[in-house]
Amino acid sequence: MSAYLYLSLIPEALVASMLPPEEFGNYLAVGSRKRTRGQALFFEVDAALLPKNYFPLDEISKRCVPHEDGTPRRSVYLSIYRALEHVPLAALKKLYLVTEDGKVLGLDAQSYETEPADELHLYQEFCPVHPRVVSKLNPTAFVKFITDQSQPVSVPRIVFCELVLRDLRTDPDNANVDDLPYTNLNHLRDCLKELKHKYSTPTKTVIRQMTHEVLFRTIRGGFFVGDQTGLKYYPLPSRDVLETTCYHWWRSALIAYGG
Amino acid sequence: MHKTHTFFYTMFRKIRHILSQPRVKVTYLFCMLAFFIAAYYFKPELTAAEPSAGQSVAAATTIADATPQPAHEAFKAFALFTDPKYTTMEKGCLLAILGIAILGLLYAYMLAKQVVKADQGTPRMQAVANAVREGANAYMAAQFRKIGILIVVITVILFFTTASSELAFKFGRSGAFLLGSIFSWLVGFVGMRLATTGNLRVAAAARNSYGEAMQLGYRTGTVTGMLTDGLGLLGGTLIFIVYGEQAYEALLGFGFGGTLLALFMRVGGGIYTKAADVGADLVGKIEKNIPEDDPRNAATIADNVGDNVGDCAGMAADIFESYEVTIVAAMILGMATFGHKGVIFPLLVRGIGVLGSIISTYTVKAGPNDTSDTALHSVHRGFWIGSIISVVGFFALGLAYLKFDPAVNFLKMTGLSPDQQAKLIAEYPYTLPGNLPFWANFGVVGLDLRPVWTCLIGVILAIVLNKITSYFTHTSHAPVKSLAKSCQTGHATNIIQGFAVGYESTVATVLVIAVAIFLSYICYIGTPPLFIAYGVAMTGIGMLTLTGNTISMDVFGPVADNANGIGEMGYDPEEMERNKPGSFKRARQILSDLDAVGNTTKAETKGIAIGSAVIAAVSLFASFIAVIAVGSEDKIHLMTTAQYIAEAGKLTVAHPMVFIGLLIGGSVPFLFSSMLIRAVGRAAFLIVKECRIQFRDADIWSGKKKPNYARVVDICTITAQKELIGPGFLAIFTPLMVGFLLGTQALGGFLAGMILTGQLLAVFMANAGGAWDNAKKMIEDGHYGGKGSEAHRAAVTGDTVGDPLKDTAGPAINPLIKVMNMVSLIALGLIMKYNLVEPKEVGGRAIGVVVAFVCIAAIWWAVWQSKRESPEMQEMEKDFGNS
Repeated sequence: MSAYLYLSLIPEALVASMLPPEEFGNYLAVGSRKRTRGQALFFEVDAALLPKNYFPLDEISKRCVPHEDGTPRRSVYLSIYRALEHVPLAALKKLYLVTEDGKVLGLDAQSYETEPADELHLYQEFCPVHPRVVSKLNPTAFVKFITDQSQPVSVPRIVFCELVLRDLRTDPDNANVDDLPYTNLNHLRDCLKELKHKYSTPTKTVIRQMTHEVLFRTIRGGFFVGDQTGLKYYPLPSRDVLETTCYHWWRSALIAYGG
Repeated sequence: MHKTHTFFYTMFRKIRHILSQPRVKVTYLFCMLAFFIAAYYFKPELTAAEPSAGQSVAAATTIADATPQPAHEAFKAFALFTDPKYTTMEKGCLLAILGIAILGLLYAYMLAKQVVKADQGTPRMQAVANAVREGANAYMAAQFRKIGILIVVITVILFFTTASSELAFKFGRSGAFLLGSIFSWLVGFVGMRLATTGNLRVAAAARNSYGEAMQLGYRTGTVTGMLTDGLGLLGGTLIFIVYGEQAYEALLGFGFGGTLLALFMRVGGGIYTKAADVGADLVGKIEKNIPEDDPRNAATIADNVGDNVGDCAGMAADIFESYEVTIVAAMILGMATFGHKGVIFPLLVRGIGVLGSIISTYTVKAGPNDTSDTALHSVHRGFWIGSIISVVGFFALGLAYLKFDPAVNFLKMTGLSPDQQAKLIAEYPYTLPGNLPFWANFGVVGLDLRPVWTCLIGVILAIVLNKITSYFTHTSHAPVKSLAKSCQTGHATNIIQGFAVGYESTVATVLVIAVAIFLSYICYIGTPPLFIAYGVAMTGIGMLTLTGNTISMDVFGPVADNANGIGEMGYDPEEMERNKPGSFKRARQILSDLDAVGNTTKAETKGIAIGSAVIAAVSLFASFIAVIAVGSEDKIHLMTTAQYIAEAGKLTVAHPMVFIGLLIGGSVPFLFSSMLIRAVGRAAFLIVKECRIQFRDADIWSGKKKPNYARVVDICTITAQKELIGPGFLAIFTPLMVGFLLGTQALGGFLAGMILTGQLLAVFMANAGGAWDNAKKMIEDGHYGGKGSEAHRAAVTGDTVGDPLKDTAGPAINPLIKVMNMVSLIALGLIMKYNLVEPKEVGGRAIGVVVAFVCIAAIWWAVWQSKRESPEMQEMEKDFGNS
């Protein structure tokens, strides 16, 4: 049995496992006794492209071995905290989205076409920090801005996704917000209005820390991982594909609670 | 000596210990109370029979009492065929009605064959459908074993308690009871069997065409509908043909049989369906966040079984008994007012209704690419076509048949002096067919179209009740929108708003029913109350004219729901997409649309079921007064108008006994609902525990191993059976207790109170539950944050609270109202003889007290039983431990 290497984003950790991605995702979400549940996101990582001196990769062959009864080792934590910044973009393979009840969807990276910059955006950051922010910047500019080490508030690398705002994107003053699923919608509207009319900086924090799980159905486009050197984009499949080929994952994603 | 002393001392301690237990204390106090009441009443009885308190001397000496009571006539089977009073056309019509009833059954058979022949899908789909069918069959078998004995016991009791000594009447009442029970069970059982057959075919057909799937689902429902129509008409007509004008007792027995079975089917099915549904939702959707009908959830199959035993078998039996009871009430009152024409006319109206249903249900179709809107339109169009056919038929029938001798008065004035007769005729001018206003005879002297107008009122009432239910429970109207909106501010505001919507809806429904009764009254203004009661009974007949369509619409709901579940668990998305790209998504969309249509049609029919219960109960109330008026049920066909009027005047809330009865009657639906809701909560608790255990099996969770569905099915079956008898006892023994303890006037008040609060509570529960359900659906469609939002959480709470209200307690109140009415009517002869307040037999007080206390003990046992956990359940809970 070979070992896989995964970069978990919730919580941030580099984990070796003998489970293939679908089984590992299920294990992350619901555990081995199926008493827990929780959304998970992780990348499959190409071990060959990792820096040799930072992660204890030699531990993989020592510890990531089957249990005495022959069952595969589910997880060997190699590193927690500041793991993402030490995994180069090139080493990140597929991104896996795991629903609360353990259904797994793998996303491939694709090229990203930048959108016009005159609209407002809502971003949910996943790693290394977890605030939800509104921004005037499109994803490409946002990555450049947030990973700019010359700024006092910055991170070396970031994983985030954009969330739907519907009409609030263009008209935060008047658009109807009733059908958006986020908590405290009035605060969100205030943040967008402030950003549009008053704020001098291009982003504003809406929620300091993720308190709810992210509803996958609210994701606009897909996930981004980037730094000053580049941006990788992992788009969600189209609604048609989700409702047919990825039916079970999509159905599971639709019934989760979050905000 | 010492030994004796020790023995007595030990005995004394034991007795003191037993008496110190709270339950025994209460029993002891009750016994003592009973003893003192009995002692008080025995004393005056030993002296002389005198008018009791509350019975005015004036009332005691009404013209009614002056009327001599003719003896019971000897029974002669099929007497109407030799009676010159019946024309050849009438005899032919009665045979034609039998033919129409059989035609309805043949139509049901033809549709059933069409359904059975349809494509059965893949082996995977068949496996899911088989599990549902086996669970449903197991439930019905368990229920049959449980209530079969009770039915036999009641049959025997009815045989021996029939007032008439003539064997034919004894057999008539008990045999008709058995027939009514069997028909009611048959409707529920066959309907459910076919629903569990049709669901698979609908899921299979959805892979090809919308229209095919919709038609199969609707026709599956129509089979049950036509079975109800056919058997209901067959039973009533056969009894009348055999017993003729002496059919009163047999008709009551027939109605009671159908009603009692319906109560059991409703109670058992309601507990089963909601225990499974709430259990599956709590552990699946809320705890584990897995979708509905997820095959990993052990409660999924039980949930689908529940749809069949509750919404299909329960509802079909319920409507069947409404169908029976309205025809029974109309026939009894028809005989007492218009004579034999008053009996034959409702049967003919029902015959037209069956023909209307056959034609209109066959027109319900949809195209291969239709949507839920067009499908719903087609179902509604079918109902309209049926209504138009029926109304045109009613008028044609009325014009041809309702012709009377203009000089013969409908009033029965035997024993009255010429002065009294003249006074009565002056008071009720429209009892003379020659006197009727233009709208009642279109200028044709002797014609009386008032029964036709009241039928029309019934048809309109059914449509208006549909619309009201739709208004309060459909997502396109303000009440449900307001509920969905209130979910934005949390669980509590949703619940509060739901209560408000439910309360408002019950007022609207009551007002509409009141208007319908008022219009019936207007039709019969200038006639005695008995005629007005006949008008109300004919309104009920009109209302249930399209029973075939109504049940088709109702049963379509669980069939489509089950088909959706089979699609979810049985479709293979990859294979379907490989064979025909886009086919999986289309088939799922079709099933989802059909499910939505089924939910709407199912909700709409609930209004008719509840409304018909009230109408039937109001008309039966007139029979109740009639029996008291003549003193015995076997003399009812000889009752005079004066007797009826005199007795009806005594039922006033100014009389303390009537008021006491009113209070007790008003409280019974609440106790009944509490028993049912508690049963659902307890069963759901056990199901959640069982599912939690099964979810911990990694192989089940990963989908490699099938959960033990049968275990949850067993829990539901055991719980539903255990809870069945308690509410049944409450329904049977409470009116008996009131009657034997407090007398006939209190029983009259009891029935009035029970009808009023029962109706209010049933509509409140059905509509509040329906509104909560659809508010959740509205949010799931993307409003106020959509699925997974905080608003959705609040909506799910509302839906879960509403589930046992709308599908267990609310619908079960319909048969409760009618069972209590029927029990009161059937036992009235005995109650008049033996009761504590005003017995007609020497020693009647003693017997009344004894029977009343047996009834109290039975009710007490029922309430205690509803709170107690059976040993099986305790065992199960012990097995579950702290899961």
